[in-house]
Order: sequence, then structure tokens, then C-alpha cells
Amino acid sequence: MDIVLSCDKLNKKYGRTYALRDLDIQLEENVIYGLLGRNGAGKTTLLNVIAGGLFANDGTIEVRGKKLSKGALPEDCCFVRENNKLFGGARLIEILQFASNFYPNWDWTFTHKLIQTFGLDPNQKIKQLSRGTESLVGNIIGLSSRSALTLFDEPVLGLDVLMRERFYKELLEDYANHPRTILLSTHLIDEISPIAEQVYIIDKGSILLHDEMNQIRMSAHLIRGNLDAVATFTKGKRVLHTESYGYGKLAAIYEKLNDEDRLQARKLDITIENLTLQRFFSYLIEGGH
Amino acid sequence: MNVTFDEKQPIFQQVADIIEDDILNGTYREDEQILSVAQFSQLFQINPATVVKGIGLLVNEEILYKKRGLGMYVSSDAKQKIKNKRRNRFYNELLSNLICEADKLELTTEEIIEMIKQLRKE
Repeated sequence: MDIVLSCDKLNKKYGRTYALRDLDIQLEENVIYGLLGRNGAGKTTLLNVIAGGLFANDGTIEVRGKKLSKGALPEDCCFVRENNKLFGGARLIEILQFASNFYPNWDWTFTHKLIQTFGLDPNQKIKQLSRGTESLVGNIIGLSSRSALTLFDEPVLGLDVLMRERFYKELLEDYANHPRTILLSTHLIDEISPIAEQVYIIDKGSILLHDEMNQIRMSAHLIRGNLDAVATFTKGKRVLHTESYGYGKLAAIYEKLNDEDRLQARKLDITIENLTLQRFFSYLIEGGH
Repeated sequence: MNVTFDEKQPIFQQVADIIEDDILNGTYREDEQILSVAQFSQLFQINPATVVKGIGLLVNEEILYKKRGLGMYVSSDAKQKIKNKRRNRFYNELLSNLICEADKLELTTEEIIEMIKQLRKE
């Protein structure tokens, strides 16, 4: 797979605080990525640095193998920020017309379809839109741009369930017909789970985990049984977090289990449950591994 | 419209199951085309790569076949193939788990058969 973007040992400091610390990330062509992390973990900083809005203190960024010089913007890249206070008194259609000039692959047919799907009026002034619907404007730009690298920072914050679902549907259908690299940073972890192919988990400015969704699904388990049984079963396996209750114990593990393991579990009277992405994320961060 | 994909199985396996269910319930008839990847992806809100993988499973099992330039079609003997496949799964998974639970509860084979007879009557 071709690498569209790679960051090597990115560092970004604010005073003495590291917002990004020795961060490595590689984005392949035609993949949907989920970027997960707590508040303050560095998601927005990372996206800003990639999109050229911020300079890193250290480290390199390469776009399709070519080093990006300081201050340069990656070609064919669209970054949809979480907050866009810049629209002011303009009308929706005017903002979109303005934006379309920056993206060579812009598709107006798609734009009009999106305006309709999201129930917006093209002649409405942005500042008259209800809270949350402003993020739809950015999302329309992000999707219509058809940029080879499209970055969304919390695209569905403030959107109600129906709008969130419409956004995901439009994203997926368009991605299927026009494959490109899309990265979505989000708090709504379980929602992104069926949509993302690969996941980057960022914590305290560094990448804590990078894996394919499939692999996570096959490896993230919750083990339940009595203390001794769980201890025996989890020996040699990657344990994220444990909690005891009386003679019982819960253990969140990150390990692929084969038939032998499952047989052993049955013999030890241990229940194995698959963890949702969100719970896996919680245990991972909680455990600090 | 949203189908809940649970955590018990890989999503691509669940995609294959959905297509199989649709073949069994008559939504798709043999030698008919199935939904495109883009449509499936949009309808069920899942990544197209996962849909492709699920379809790939069924192509390997010769339940679906590809028509160049047109899309994916249901094989002429798909229904029978699915039933056979599911019988195996019934035995290896559902029944195995049932026996496991029955052992925990110390149920005899006769008791289990009696329970099955009761349920079938209803």
C-alpha cells in the first residue's frame, strides 16, 4: 500500500508541556482511519501540524515520500476543523463557493446532494444555523472536496443521531465510489468502530496503539472467572487491566485466542467476552500500557 | 436503517451472514445480482473494505460469483450450499455450546431430548 502521509518523531511543545511527543504516524492510500484519544491527548494538535496550521518543533512530515518543508501545505489535503468561527455573515452557498476554489477535485453535484441530505438552505446565513448544524458546513466541504487526504476533527460533535447517521452513510457511500484517505478524530468511539479500517490511539502526545479494526476485534477480550483460573489463563498474555471482586476477577486482555485457549477457558470455567472498541479504549488508557 | 453488528463475530462474517440470510429468505434469488458494495456500505453503515471481505468469503464458498463488469451474483445452488454449511455450524457451535451448558447443569441426554420435544410441540 502506498503511504500518503508519514510523520516521524514529531514534537510540539507549548512552553514546557509536550502536546506531541516523538509521534510517529503513517497513513496509507485509500483507508479510513479513526483517531481516538482523550481530551487533551493531542488529536487536534496533530491534525493542525499535518495540515500546516501549526509548526512542529521537531520531526519530519513526508507527503507521498517527499519531505514537507516548514510552512508548506500538503497537496490535495482538506482539513475540517472542529470549530469554524470564520464564516461570519456569509451564506452557506457563498462559503461553499469560496471553499471549492481550494480543492481541485470538488464535486458540485455531490455538494448539492449533501445540502439536501442535511436539510440545509443554501441561502441561509451561517450564523443563523442552529448549534451543531455549523459542523455540517465543514463536513460538506470535507466530503465535497474529494481530497486525496481528508482530515476531520470531531466531525459529528453537536450533531443529533439522525444527522450523525446521515453523515456516516454519505461518507461511506462516497468513499466506496471514490476511494481516498480519510481520517476522523472522534470521541464517539463505538460509532466509528464499523466505519474505520484502522485505528490510531493517541495518549499524552504519543501514539499508544495502532492496529486494524479487525485485529482489535479479534484480540480485545474481557475474561471473567475465579481468581486462580484467571491468573492461570492470563499468564503470558497482554493484560490491560484487572478488577477483582471477592473471589472473582475481571481481566481485559489484548491477545488473539485460538481454539486451544478457548478449550482451556472452558476447562477453567472462564467466560470470554469480546470488548467493544470503546471499552477496549477505556481499559487500555486506564491500564496505562 | 441500521443492523446492529455485535462484538461476538468479525463484522465481515456478519456481512456474509446477512447476505446468506437474504438468499435463504428469498430477498435474493439464484442467479440474481446482490447489492453493490457502495449500497451495502451505505445501508448498513459499515466500511466498504469489510463488505468486500464478507463477499469474498462467499465467493470462496461458491455461494456468490462475479460477473465481469456487472457485479456479484447468487450461485444457482446457493441455497443448498448455505443450508449444508449452516448445519455444520449448528453442530459445531450451537450444539457444542448447548452440551457445554448442559454439562454445567448436569443434564442427561434424555432430559435434553425431552426438552427439545417439548419445544418442538409448541
